[in-house]
Amino acid sequence: MDAFNENNREGKQLQSLTSLVYLDLLSSVCLMRPFLYSLVFTATLSASSTAFEDEVRPILERSCVKCHGGEKLKGKVDFSKILTEQDADAQFELWKTVVEVLEAKEMPPDDEPQLSDAEKKTIIDWYQKRSQTSIEAKPSVFEPRRLSGPEYRNTLRSLFGFDLEVAVAEAEQTVISDQSLVLKLLPTDPPGASGFINDTHRARLSPVIWDQYLHLSNAALEKLFSKKGRAQLGEFIGTQLPNDWQPVDLSHDQAERLIRRFVPRALRRPAPEEQLAKILAAISGKRGDVLVAATKFELKTVLMSPAFFYRGLLMEGEPGKQQTVDHFELAERLSYFLWEDRPDEELTRLATNGSLRDEQVLDGQVARMLSSPKARNLAQSFGTQWLEIDSLDGLLAKDPIRHHALKTQLIDFLNYLFTENRPIVELIDSKITFVNQGTSGFYGKDRQRMKRHATPKGIERQRTPHQKFELVHAEGRGGLLTMPGILTMNQGPIQRGTWILRRILGVPIGEPPADTPPIKGSPRGKNLTFRERFEMHRSNVTCARCHEKIDPLGFALEGYDKNGQFLLASDRPKKKANEPGKPIDTSGKLPSGETFETFAGLKEILLTQKREPIVRNIVERTLAYALCRKLERSDQPVVDAITQNLCKNDGTWKSLFQQVANSLPFRETIIETANISHE
Amino acid sequence: MSKNWNIERRTFLRGAAGALVPLPFLNLMENSAKAASVDLAGNSKPPLRFVTLFKPNGVHPPSWNIEGGQENDFRMSPLMAPFAKHKDDLLILDNMGDFGFSSHSNSTRRFLSGHHQNRKSASIDQLIADKISGDTAHRSLELTTEGLFTNQIDCSYISYDKNGDRIPRESDPQLVFDRLFRNPMHDPKQREEISSLLDRVRDDAKSLQRKAGREDQETLEEYFTVIRETEQRLENMTPVSGPEGVDFSTLKRPESAGDLNEQVEAMLDVMAMALWTDSTRCISYMLGNSNSRMIFDFLGIKKQHHYLSHFFRNFSRSNIDDLLKISLWHMEKFDYLLTKLKSYKDQNGSLLDHSIVLFGSGMGHSDNHTAQRIPVVLAGKGGGMLKTGRYLRYSKNQELGRLHLSLLEKFGINSPSYANSSAPLPGLDGGHFEEYQERPFDSWVKTGNGKITVQGRLRMSDNLDEAKVFYIDADGKPPVRIEVGFGDFHRFNLAYHVGTPITLTGDSSERHGRLVLTKVTDLKSVFGKSKPGKANG
Repeated sequence: MDAFNENNREGKQLQSLTSLVYLDLLSSVCLMRPFLYSLVFTATLSASSTAFEDEVRPILERSCVKCHGGEKLKGKVDFSKILTEQDADAQFELWKTVVEVLEAKEMPPDDEPQLSDAEKKTIIDWYQKRSQTSIEAKPSVFEPRRLSGPEYRNTLRSLFGFDLEVAVAEAEQTVISDQSLVLKLLPTDPPGASGFINDTHRARLSPVIWDQYLHLSNAALEKLFSKKGRAQLGEFIGTQLPNDWQPVDLSHDQAERLIRRFVPRALRRPAPEEQLAKILAAISGKRGDVLVAATKFELKTVLMSPAFFYRGLLMEGEPGKQQTVDHFELAERLSYFLWEDRPDEELTRLATNGSLRDEQVLDGQVARMLSSPKARNLAQSFGTQWLEIDSLDGLLAKDPIRHHALKTQLIDFLNYLFTENRPIVELIDSKITFVNQGTSGFYGKDRQRMKRHATPKGIERQRTPHQKFELVHAEGRGGLLTMPGILTMNQGPIQRGTWILRRILGVPIGEPPADTPPIKGSPRGKNLTFRERFEMHRSNVTCARCHEKIDPLGFALEGYDKNGQFLLASDRPKKKANEPGKPIDTSGKLPSGETFETFAGLKEILLTQKREPIVRNIVERTLAYALCRKLERSDQPVVDAITQNLCKNDGTWKSLFQQVANSLPFRETIIETANISHE
Repeated sequence: MSKNWNIERRTFLRGAAGALVPLPFLNLMENSAKAASVDLAGNSKPPLRFVTLFKPNGVHPPSWNIEGGQENDFRMSPLMAPFAKHKDDLLILDNMGDFGFSSHSNSTRRFLSGHHQNRKSASIDQLIADKISGDTAHRSLELTTEGLFTNQIDCSYISYDKNGDRIPRESDPQLVFDRLFRNPMHDPKQREEISSLLDRVRDDAKSLQRKAGREDQETLEEYFTVIRETEQRLENMTPVSGPEGVDFSTLKRPESAGDLNEQVEAMLDVMAMALWTDSTRCISYMLGNSNSRMIFDFLGIKKQHHYLSHFFRNFSRSNIDDLLKISLWHMEKFDYLLTKLKSYKDQNGSLLDHSIVLFGSGMGHSDNHTAQRIPVVLAGKGGGMLKTGRYLRYSKNQELGRLHLSLLEKFGINSPSYANSSAPLPGLDGGHFEEYQERPFDSWVKTGNGKITVQGRLRMSDNLDEAKVFYIDADGKPPVRIEVGFGDFHRFNLAYHVGTPITLTGDSSERHGRLVLTKVTDLKSVFGKSKPGKANG
């Protein structure tokens, strides 16, 4: 029928159009950075014939070259010209797309002969092997980036010495919200390609943000010159200001001292002479109110300059080559990584005298910085974003006290691991936990050893701080995975299994495909458990692909209810499994073959056979957070080296942070040559 | 300022407070919009506005679709009831979209960008803003209701800048109000300071540029663009009490919202105020992320919207009732916006007369995510650009890009193509379009050995007690009931074919003397595609 054929043709055109667009995009990326690519794709040569020539090429010639080779070049892809493994390496990005379209069953098109599963596996295995062996470590191209919301807040706070807060009285039991004026005013940063919000490369400056920056700068400067900012202003000026001091008393000399101290702190490096001269000229000869207004204005020009709210614009370097980042950039990278804040005086001093680049000095600084209270931001930001702890915010929005108890416990625990030199794997198992009134109920007899907390008279419920606590009697606890916060934010075996897979084991797993059939109910006359019904679901091949990975992890946690209570504890009344008549089954078998009976058994497997992938995942997440960007192929060798090192030596979090800080992509960069253009 | 100011001000304050405003009073108010142009006879013409209101999570098609209507003779569907009173100001489009399935994020991008692969260009609201913002203080507003859904980030954005990057959204009506009407740029003293600040920081940044590497230059370019735009805004912001302007200090700041309904109505109030004061001419507002997880507890609903929207998989009568309550609430907010825009006088008409409002969703069937028969309604005459009061059901499925191209054209932006469309959508201004025509086809049923093949028009049951059931009507026969599992429903994309004739083959059984098809083995479309696109859609 005509209409049918016509529509069908349209469909086809669309499909080829979209793949064309996609590949066009790819080739334009290549064109933009030929220089970088030639560095990255230096292949290691092997003498004899290769897996590509023996195994992959024949498949391509059989099934792909018809449309992607010779005269027909759909999507501008030409497999007929890729003859050797070197040719293949030279187009490595192409193979990533090839694997993606194979996995998504987009290619070959439906109406063409399909590849067998074995053929697909050959190509995918070859790609994976290849991607791990032929890479040379390279830093990325230098890109300035805007401070994230939290970074901007912290930078402003540590620069001025006070916080800007929303004028609202929030009762303990009312609502959860951040009191920071900065976070209230700035639009929420979307996470970048790395999954972290400090990856602001695609979150551009907009007029809205500019207005908010201006508003915040005004607010901070007004506060600095008000009574509330008196102490901080005195610190800038270098004298304690008397109680009856008024801004109109500001002397020219004091204003100059304020400026000379303020500007380099704001810019995180010595102020450019030219800029300083301009500022000082602008206040010269002024007195009283006029001087105060001029001083505020000048400081505002600093806060509104791109060098303040972007990172990296002032870095010194030589375009066109790979190089070590300059001393102040290194200090900034380190302090925004560990503190989410600007460098302090010690870091600035070491950058000024040039010793920060020394490996031992850098290690020493990591250790020092981890012992500062500011290092809590590492757990607060990196930990929270990596582990999606913020998902508790929505779930427990109506119970702020419980929200505080569950969330703070996780952050306290992460903070302990990060800052007290604990082994990496203690994330999975640890004798230490943190407990307050809101979480003590999960720890059985151990809670009796808690320090008593007396609630003040007249207070009904209260947020209380967590106490550090050694587990002795509590059953089914130890490590992050069985903390009530994690078990509450991931309810049911599927959410729990998916979370462990993605966040802990680092296995990328997509959303369920749109054509996922629902889990069927029990067939008539049978009373199947959720688990048994899932086993039926898994018999569907499409579902099994993900669920054989997800389910054993998730069902191992069936002994914990939706609030995280441990149902199998020996002092609990026997019952009452989730489905009447059937005991809770926590056993399972991982796709790699390991079997276990209980969650404790699974934990043992995670700590032994799965240690390497877990550590690798942690290294990747940490490096991506530190670099504020998605990892690239050329980061692979660094990830490999740190992973091996940490696995071999039962490495600690501190050691991980030190190795990241000393890694090539953290210390080095490539500056691209500018196209000279003037506004 | 007019002598009537006291009346205006009092009524305005009530209007701004949100609820229950006596309409005739509001009509007394003149707006402060400057004439955008002057016609040949020397009469000034009010400026044109473009407003987008996005509805999350698609619809339950039988409740939304208009069946059997014609251009000038149609009855609005049950879901349209809340805004049926605006029928004369509406242009209801049908057969929009042409994609078998679509992810939430792709359907969101498509809503204002024509196609999900169109990732390197601005969405149409931004292109239109560039064209029509003129000397307004704010080029455009990008607003939303719900926080970011970080797992599929594109679900949270419909507006994209010229690089195809997401534009940050604002969700707090108070903060938006402050930016519009409590802006320091209105204050003469502060204006002067901001102006010299802009000069200074640009100078400083230029000296940076001299030594910058390539990536730095791109960053600085971004900075300079914002500086330029801010200068433009500063120029456009009239100081507080100009001779004929509205005194912004008399506008009432919205109260803190107690629930979602109050939050959304406050935002719609602020939007209308922004348009009426000519503070901006282009606004996009999302009533939720496209896969909205919001809980409508103020409607007495405890389950998440997204869960409910998958009404085939999560079918129960109470779930579908809840889903329809939520959809009706969305429609009520659309009505609220239209009523607000009509209540403001705008030279010789209402604000709505000089606006085009685009209301719709990114997908049709909310469980199957079909990007076909997507709800799209245009409202407002756009100063005569649209001929409203009509229902346009196109003869074939239309890519959204064609609508976008057409809207761009209406706003005076000439582009040979947009996204993957190169022909504008005809008929919006009353011109010729190919209207949907019933085409004759044979209908029949063949059965035997537990198998059935039936040809006829497919429809979804409009009985909510069995909302996951389909029927095929064949002449002279009782309808064949299609009662299949999710696998068949999805694999053969029944939702896509609803309303069209198909030939369906499968296993059958008899129940109460009626034929029931329980498993699909083949589906062929009589006139259209049997397998619409799905790759990455």
